Amino acid sequence: MTDEPRLSAQNMIEHLTPVLSPRTRIRAVTALVAGTTGGAFTGALWWSEPGPLPGHTHLAFAMFTTFCLAWAGYGGWLLTRRVPLFATDRLIAAWLALTASITTTAVLTTVAAQRDTATWPVLTVGGVFITTSLLLTVRAHLRRAALVRRLLELTHRENQ
Amino acid sequence: MTDEALVIRAQLGEREALAELLARWRVPVWTYVRRMLDADRADDVSQEIWLAVVRGLPRLRKPGRFTPWLFTIARRSITERLRAEYAQAEKVFLVGDSTVEDPAEAMVDRAALVSALSALPVLEREILVLFYLEDLPVEECAHICQIPAGTVKSRLNRARRLLREHLEEKGDLP
Repeated sequence: MTDEPRLSAQNMIEHLTPVLSPRTRIRAVTALVAGTTGGAFTGALWWSEPGPLPGHTHLAFAMFTTFCLAWAGYGGWLLTRRVPLFATDRLIAAWLALTASITTTAVLTTVAAQRDTATWPVLTVGGVFITTSLLLTVRAHLRRAALVRRLLELTHRENQ
Repeated sequence: MTDEALVIRAQLGEREALAELLARWRVPVWTYVRRMLDADRADDVSQEIWLAVVRGLPRLRKPGRFTPWLFTIARRSITERLRAEYAQAEKVFLVGDSTVEDPAEAMVDRAALVSALSALPVLEREILVLFYLEDLPVEECAHICQIPAGTVKSRLNRARRLLREHLEEKGDLP
């Protein structure tokens, strides 16, 4: 009977490197944020277009929305199944989502206003995104603060 | 540094803490897996367990409960590999279940235990490994195996009896 693991701790860490690499996490967060915001805002623009649209415009909107949602799905799958997002990563991801939501809302509202189309669908969708990402940011801050507080308690207890 | 502090540091995203946690628990996890599976599968399953641990660590709500959480993941991986054996063992155990209250102080010789473990059915083998080789308390064994503490005690009782019978058959006991 073999009484020692064949893989050393170093081997094991190397095996886990792809999962822990910052690049994978950035890719996952970017895909989710860009895909979701892109899909939602394209959908909002599509819906708020004035007058009847030609068939090829409908097709282009549909394709772009599907493309964005596919990326969002991929990012979501990576984050829930493949890539761990630690407390600090979650905080960064939440801030990225908030920044992306605010920027996209501002840009698309300006575009809608310049084209004399209704701005309220973009503002509604943007409002939902900004509120959600704000809540996620607050939650990420609270979670990280709770972990840091507990760590300080434990360190203090060990030092006594 | 305690396991809890190490887990929190890892949850915050410190890779060194994760490496230290792995170094600290690599052998106990492997030992548990090895006592349940053959040598060829033990390394693969250990890797699989650590992958699941790393992926699940950010969602662990109680860092102080890291040990039972870790062994629950390990048990899940082992159960998947031994699905047929577990199903068979559950049936046998239900028929022959003993409810005798057992004072868990009775000591089993560690070396004899290790050598005889492979001859025992999975449920009994598992509970002996967790209780004697991993030194986990009854409550944590119950949490890992998802059974009441009373069942852990009766299962331990039955496991010790089977082990004794096995050792007597081999002539290792007087």
